[in-house]
Amino acid sequence: MKSLVRAPSSVGAMNRVCLLLLVGALLALPWADLALYPVDPWQELGRIGHGLLLPAWDEPRILLEAVGQTVAFALLAVVISAPAGLILAMLFHWRLVRVFCATIRSVHELFWGLIFMQLYGLSATTGLLALLVPFAGMFAKVFAEIFEQQARDPALTLAPGLAIGKRYAYTLIPQALPALLSYTRYRFECALRSSAILGFIGLPTLGFHLETAFKQGQYAEAGTLLWAFLVLIATTRFWLRPWLLPVYLPVAAWLLPDTIGFSNGGYFWQFVSEDIWPATLRTGDLVGTLDWYGRMLSEQVWPGLLQTLLLTQLALVLTAGVALLVYPLATYALAGPLLRWPGRFLLLVLRSIPEMVLAFVFMLLCGPSGLPAVLALALHNGGLIAFLIANASDAEQQASRQRPDDPRGLLRYAYIETPRRFPALLALLFYRWEVILRESAILGILGITTLGFYVDSAFEELRYDRAFLLIAVTALLNVWVDAVSRRLRHWARPEYHARLRCRQPYRAC
Amino acid sequence: MLCISSNWLRRMSKSLIIRDTTTLIRRLMVLALLVLPALAQAETFVFTAIPDADESRLQQRFGKVADYLTETLGVEVRYIPVKSYAAAITAFRNNQVQLAWFGGLSGVQARRLVPGSEALAQGYEDQFFKSYLIAHADTGLTPTESLSDALKGKTFTFGSKGSTSGRLMPEFYLREHFRAAPEDIFDRVGFSGDHSRTIAQVQAGAYQVGAVNFAVWEKELAEGRVDADKVRVIWTTPTYPDYQWTVRGDVDAHFGAGFKERVRAALLEMKDPELLSSFPRQAFVPADNDDYAPIEATAKAIGLLDD
Amino acid sequence: MSGLPVVFRLSGHSLAYGDHRVLDNISLQIRRGEKVALLGPSGAGKTTLLHILHDQQPEQVALQPQSGGLVDMLSVYQNVFMGGLARVGTLPALWNLLRPLPSHRKAIAALVESLGLTDKLWQSVDRLSGGQRQRVAIGRALYRQQPVFLGDEPVSALDPLQAGLLLELLLERHETAVVSLHDRRLALQHFDRIIVMRDGRISCDCAASALSEAALNAWYRQDEPLESARQPDAADPWLMSRP
Repeated sequence: MKSLVRAPSSVGAMNRVCLLLLVGALLALPWADLALYPVDPWQELGRIGHGLLLPAWDEPRILLEAVGQTVAFALLAVVISAPAGLILAMLFHWRLVRVFCATIRSVHELFWGLIFMQLYGLSATTGLLALLVPFAGMFAKVFAEIFEQQARDPALTLAPGLAIGKRYAYTLIPQALPALLSYTRYRFECALRSSAILGFIGLPTLGFHLETAFKQGQYAEAGTLLWAFLVLIATTRFWLRPWLLPVYLPVAAWLLPDTIGFSNGGYFWQFVSEDIWPATLRTGDLVGTLDWYGRMLSEQVWPGLLQTLLLTQLALVLTAGVALLVYPLATYALAGPLLRWPGRFLLLVLRSIPEMVLAFVFMLLCGPSGLPAVLALALHNGGLIAFLIANASDAEQQASRQRPDDPRGLLRYAYIETPRRFPALLALLFYRWEVILRESAILGILGITTLGFYVDSAFEELRYDRAFLLIAVTALLNVWVDAVSRRLRHWARPEYHARLRCRQPYRAC
Repeated sequence: MLCISSNWLRRMSKSLIIRDTTTLIRRLMVLALLVLPALAQAETFVFTAIPDADESRLQQRFGKVADYLTETLGVEVRYIPVKSYAAAITAFRNNQVQLAWFGGLSGVQARRLVPGSEALAQGYEDQFFKSYLIAHADTGLTPTESLSDALKGKTFTFGSKGSTSGRLMPEFYLREHFRAAPEDIFDRVGFSGDHSRTIAQVQAGAYQVGAVNFAVWEKELAEGRVDADKVRVIWTTPTYPDYQWTVRGDVDAHFGAGFKERVRAALLEMKDPELLSSFPRQAFVPADNDDYAPIEATAKAIGLLDD
Repeated sequence: MSGLPVVFRLSGHSLAYGDHRVLDNISLQIRRGEKVALLGPSGAGKTTLLHILHDQQPEQVALQPQSGGLVDMLSVYQNVFMGGLARVGTLPALWNLLRPLPSHRKAIAALVESLGLTDKLWQSVDRLSGGQRQRVAIGRALYRQQPVFLGDEPVSALDPLQAGLLLELLLERHETAVVSLHDRRLALQHFDRIIVMRDGRISCDCAASALSEAALNAWYRQDEPLESARQPDAADPWLMSRP
């Protein structure tokens, strides 16, 4: 059996996947919109820097409330969406469930917010749903992947044809429990970010004030909010304890904002049956409908699709570069016990600052084009991936899996750490692919017409028919990307080639 | 953070004891209500406002306006902050807010969605609102009477996508003059999302030219936030009507006959400079739907509204 | 013996991964009541053969894979209980994770006592030694209560005395058994038929009584490859992001 592992090289497969990504990016390069413009940013950048270094805020109560609400939304959303995601993950072998999850993931939280506003008004319910619906989809995907990575042996010793609940409760869930909990904890950090962003539509979280301060150029206040957010995320592991949840949850529910003046059942039915369909379709005008779809396809869908793919591909490869470059700065093994702290701080900053803010700064530096978008997405996502793989390296360090004769410094980076991290990095990269796809929606300031740009325009113009079509296309793209990344990820996995030829998925075969 | 969270917990626990437990129960029910439309208090008159300048401290500033209206109208009036035009219009359509301070375009969009709704009053300044095109000094563009051909091929930013002064009217005049869509006139077209951002971006040279609400420009100029050596006004649009108060048509049915007129009167009588500065306008003057017919026509002309 | 029904049957079965042949033209019949030992150097195809047999009759087989298939987060009790999952409804099974079901608790306590693990009943299995884990795996197979036992090195981590006793117990509780072993003496002592595999082929299939230890050793002598340790799987990012 052992000789089997040497038959096809897993390294070879991984290299081919990387090569494919790189070639994709190189092909995208000449088509992508990466113009550089002469700019004069120093005055504005000076003010931003000044605000970050000398943050100011005169009403601590508002700040505390915003922090409280940010945490409350995030906590409740995760507590509801994690079990929902778990159940969906158990049904992930059904294509329908996978497509459903990919669809709900592909819509940005802000757009979910606007959709649920039709039904629940501007309320805590809307905010919660806007977070937990896409989160359930993400939990489902990642949980399903975690399950996939568990050993099959325990299941083989059970009776065949057991009910799915029993099977999962006794094998895969307990087997995967540490990974599930660790991911849930990480997802909570993402929920804090998303919860803050929900302020952009009017929920009183940190983003509400951040967006204002940033838009008005009140950088000292923006600085305070960013620092508050950094501290919140950096300290999560100190205050987020499972045994405190029974205390936190009622407090979080109590902290949710009151719904003001919403008494109506909403326009949901009208929204579903009328608003999202083009007027011509509702009146039965077939020619007009075809014309409408044709125009949307040629004017928005197709150019949007192209821009989105180009941007995503470049951002993805650059993300990998950023992650490989910065993760060693934050590890015990490479940066040492003391020097890793500045590295960890850098990663905290990279992953916590909203992409929109990064994109704005880069736009000041290089002018409006795809370049600031690619840089912002790559830094943010690269910082995130670097954080996760630096954690993995540290965990290994603690488990002392190293040998006394291991090399140090650059050699250690090249021969030990990076090869060990690489499969994880690749897996995370595929996962960020769809995140980048979704996030490109909020980069309209750069004038890059991605699918997200058009979705945003459609919502802004209250053209839900267009929004629906564009979201459907985005969802399809997401389903496709999901399927491709699923395949590539499997392909790059060491045991894949062994397992592929094995009809039964057992580890030992 | 530890101290913040312990403070926070202390505050919470203290308030928990003091506050009526029913409040806690009601808030807990928000979770249970995930599958049901929220059932909140019925007869509160709610308004929202997205001011064109300075969105900070919305709750405090407009809270005072709510107090004034409560006093004048004799019903409980509350303000909810909404941050985007799309969200504000949705809330208006849902009857979550009955009165809104909309921009020209968002008002038209809202009234199209809610039959019977009416423009009640506009700011004094909104009768002859205008937008500026501003340009970075390095472009060499100078103020002109009509739009200059030198604009072609520059990079250009609008404000927010749904803004009348930051997008609709400038786009209309650009299209009219150049007989082309903005994407075809300029090398690149962005949406800064906000007038202050437009000024900042043009001043930093990130975009060469931008369209901005004249009131915001004047305000930032007066506050010394504009560097006249770097950015200047190069063209002014003809005037057009902009911000206005719009009320839902069914308020009389809910709050009693003649309520709509009392709201109009309350708005027109708002003289306190502190209240007016939130908008910021010097006074409110009567307005009606017809005042905004040109805006609607313009929006249709540039394809922002369907016929 | 030859009158009893056939439980497993393979005729001319081959299996290859790429260029590598794992099973090469295997023909084999195993009848009810037979106790078969599977011998041969590592890499000979024993594990694959066992899994193929398992797939033929999954509903009447208790399988004990080489790894034991234990679930680390669960206690010895729960790990044994899993063998009887099919006899319990979903809700009681879920409840059993919180509070052991009384009837099973009694049966499993008795079973675990015979395995010499009474004091470990409520310990999670990740705290146990290799030998103890193997005994838990045997416990689960026994609790499956099936007529056929398929074991892949089921007693390899036990001392010779214990190995013999537990192997005896397994053979006594199962009508039919196919067990791969390294220990030739155990094979000769406890089984009535011995199959020796080499390079995916059956090189000897005869009654235990016809073989001696010396004869068996001969099958192993030529260039026995060393077991290469398998690297742990590093493809799981979330597992590794644990603090």
